[in-house]
Amino acid sequence: MAINWIPVEPNYKSYLQLVVLIDMAILAIIAASLYLFLPNNGWLPAPLWFGVPWAAITVFFGLFWSLRRYQFTAYARTEEAMFLRRGALWRLTRAVPLNRIQHVEVRQGFLERLFGLAHLTLYTAGSGGADLSIPGLALANAEAMKAELITTIANEQTDESDHD
Amino acid sequence: MTEFVWQRTPLLTIGFFIAKEVRNLIKNITNFIPVLAAIFVTDSTWLPYAIGGGYLVFIIVSAILNHHFFMYALTDDAVHLRTGVFSKKSLTLKYERIQQAELDQTWYFRPFALTILRVDSAGSAGKEVEIPGLSVELAHNLRQQMLAEAKHASVSATAAEDDVGAAPAPQPDLVRSYGIGELVRAGIYDNKLFVLLAVLIYPVSQTDILEERLVPWLEANVTFIEQSLWLNIGLAAAALSLLFVLAIAVTVISFYNLTLTIDNQRYQTRQGLLSIRTVSFRYHKLQRVRIRQNLRARLLGRFSMRVSQLQPSASAQQQQSAAFNLPVLTQSGMSELCRWLRLPNANQLNWQKISPVALLQPSFWIALTAPITATISYLNVENLGLALTLGASVWLALQLYAVARWQRYGFTQAEGWLGVRSGVFGSKQNWYPMYKAQQIDVYQSPWLRLLGYADVIVYTAAGAEVIKYQPAALATQLQHEWTATVAQNRKRWM
Repeated sequence: MAINWIPVEPNYKSYLQLVVLIDMAILAIIAASLYLFLPNNGWLPAPLWFGVPWAAITVFFGLFWSLRRYQFTAYARTEEAMFLRRGALWRLTRAVPLNRIQHVEVRQGFLERLFGLAHLTLYTAGSGGADLSIPGLALANAEAMKAELITTIANEQTDESDHD
Repeated sequence: MTEFVWQRTPLLTIGFFIAKEVRNLIKNITNFIPVLAAIFVTDSTWLPYAIGGGYLVFIIVSAILNHHFFMYALTDDAVHLRTGVFSKKSLTLKYERIQQAELDQTWYFRPFALTILRVDSAGSAGKEVEIPGLSVELAHNLRQQMLAEAKHASVSATAAEDDVGAAPAPQPDLVRSYGIGELVRAGIYDNKLFVLLAVLIYPVSQTDILEERLVPWLEANVTFIEQSLWLNIGLAAAALSLLFVLAIAVTVISFYNLTLTIDNQRYQTRQGLLSIRTVSFRYHKLQRVRIRQNLRARLLGRFSMRVSQLQPSASAQQQQSAAFNLPVLTQSGMSELCRWLRLPNANQLNWQKISPVALLQPSFWIALTAPITATISYLNVENLGLALTLGASVWLALQLYAVARWQRYGFTQAEGWLGVRSGVFGSKQNWYPMYKAQQIDVYQSPWLRLLGYADVIVYTAAGAEVIKYQPAALATQLQHEWTATVAQNRKRWM
């Protein structure tokens, strides 16, 4: 039962790091503006009380977390299903049988475009948004996978002739 | 048929549109908080009336307009709708795409032999269409036609199926009615009393009526209340039991004359005293069967059963009342229905427990409660012995509960079904057709990874089921097995 896991693009790690940096920068800007522009900010603790944890978190997410997440993220396409591994500390392996796919979508966010990445999302019924989304694919690859999946699904449904 | 005959609904149906507006108002009540605030803040006496009156006028005008612009046309293969006052909406619903069609005979249409036809299509948006004010006969025929079309589209007409479809089937496979006695039982254990109380308490607590009006009134008029404690308790008990009886009455009214019909793969319930409601599903659309029994139901020896179909998450909440629901079933009635639903035989099930490791985490949190309870009670009563006893007994009770919960939990696989049971005082069983699963997850938190275990999560079209604490290798194996089961199955699943 060995699954042939395919890793995502190495760019995905840089992408994750950039996302971490941007998020942390937003936090830093909020904190800094509190210190700079709040009129009577005497009650705030010394900036280091925020600065040191901030730096620690940035380093943790920027180096450790994004590396682990990149290493663990992988997908696999078998005859029957699409598998996805995701997460760094909390890990999830998701399987979607191909004959349950409702529609397929390739999306590319603004940051992803900087790295030439895209993600491929498979939707199933009734799951309320909890679907399989493969991040960190090269755009061309994602498009190819989408096309290939759609053909498979379309062929499948024609021979689905019986009922219960 | 190319020619559309656009029709308006009868004038009587303005009542329906008004009801719809009122429902919208209640649904969006939070939007009116600023207006309500203005009413409370202002000193002017006329403003509340102006706003209330204005809203009344708005409701009536918009109901009239909505009625005027609500046009429908019925053709041989589709329903066409044109609605909307300002933003026009045009909708075509092919019969073959219709998931479900129900007649809703509400109390305000029943005297006129009119009905509401409610149609659900597939599609992720879960478009629901309601056509009010059709005559019962027309609506009935239409519904038959829609469901027949839906069936023909879905079924690659096998000979046997065609025979059944062609021959008029006067005798359904199974008819069961549930009398008043049974419904009273359902009312007792499926009591909405607490819901009712919660609904009542909220608005009461928001205003000062209780403190400003009721309490002084009671003090002024019923002086004897303060004289006797027992009288107080008696009054409270009487009020509660009155509510209890009212809640039973609500159940009896809404399920009055409950009839279950099974006819050629179609399962239908019909119920209601004032508004008659019909809910049905076709067997191949079944996504989940939930059998429940709470403590009261257990004492009365009854079960309740709910069958879910595919529910778009957006409309999942509001459709709760429209689910296929049998509130009261005897043991034999339940077994009979289980056979009709082709659930595996209850006697031949191999329930699997989850690993005792699952007890570690709850036990840890429960162990924390003991010192906390002891400390709090010591601070309150200043009696060390009592405090320690209290802490220990609370800990023991919770720990026993956790063990019992673990002990009673089980999952099983039989005849293509996945069953999960749970419940300490009552019991709950969820059954899913395995081949209709949508996604299968294996999930590991750092804690689970440390122990070498994983949770398996099965997503179905009617909700997710988590099976906790499987050994990691087994979890992956289950995932692969179940995925293969789903993938190799070519049956229709919705």
